[in-house]
Amino acid sequence: MTADELDPLIHVPTRLKIVATLAALPDGDTLSFTRLQDMIGLTPGNLIIHLRKLEEADYISSEKNRNGTVSITTVALTGHGRKALGAYTQALRDLLGGL
Amino acid sequence: MNPAPDSTTSAGNGGNFDPRQAAALLDQTTHQARRKFAPSPPWLLAIRAIAVLAALGGIWLTVRGQHPYRGPTGADIPILIGFIVLNFAVTVGVRERAMAGVRGRTRLHPVEITILVLAWAAVPLLMWRLAVAGVSYSWYPTTVLIVPGLAWAAVSAARGDWRQFGTGLALAAISVVGAFAGPAGSWAVAGVGLCAVLMSDAVAIAWRQRRDVARP
Repeated sequence: MTADELDPLIHVPTRLKIVATLAALPDGDTLSFTRLQDMIGLTPGNLIIHLRKLEEADYISSEKNRNGTVSITTVALTGHGRKALGAYTQALRDLLGGL
Repeated sequence: MNPAPDSTTSAGNGGNFDPRQAAALLDQTTHQARRKFAPSPPWLLAIRAIAVLAALGGIWLTVRGQHPYRGPTGADIPILIGFIVLNFAVTVGVRERAMAGVRGRTRLHPVEITILVLAWAAVPLLMWRLAVAGVSYSWYPTTVLIVPGLAWAAVSAARGDWRQFGTGLALAAISVVGAFAGPAGSWAVAGVGLCAVLMSDAVAIAWRQRRDVARP
């Protein structure tokens, strides 16, 4: 196992922070875009770019809900994303164990 | 909106991102997220444990020398009620802050909140019914905690939260043991028992929050 074999979608500091934060919630729970942004410390534009990449890989799902005049976007880690993070974590452990 | 340049894309394929740094970042982010999403943080549980011990222990000190037993003094009850109200307000405030933006199973469902509120509301009702039947409250001061304890255990079991299920059962067990310790002794049993349960909970949550996920 080499560092090149780590999932390139997750092996980016910002995206790793995003999936690790979402993984701290129980399976199926969603987090609002604004709370996630607050926790990760990114600009909305930057966060959108990373979320889009993760969504394209089906690692996360997002949903836009209208509450009166306010639109609330929520994101959640999918089962596929949770498995991918699990595999990435295991790969990291194997890699570090061999160092 | 034009997004700001992404400072992390240079490591987009993991080129500059060392696995050791990745493991440290994964652990650090996981710890932080667990702390921020915790509806009952260890520090709050530890403060509550000490406050419960002080409040109920203080009452025990005032009643232990009573022969015959008359119950807490007029000054003790407002302090106890004040503590319950303050504890409730802080718990709700901290929980709301932790759950901001979160939707799903982590949040208590309105039905679960109703069950818990009804369980607490049942306590004075039960006390009143027993008083009407001629059983004075002063003889079972902390035994009534069995109702909210069992309600919390039932709600936690339905949520599949077995640690909190244990906490609810422990609360019910403390109230039962207190019934056998006599009216004065039950205050001590409740104070020490609740303090031990809350401290155990605080230690378990703190350990879970600090557990590494990536680093071996």
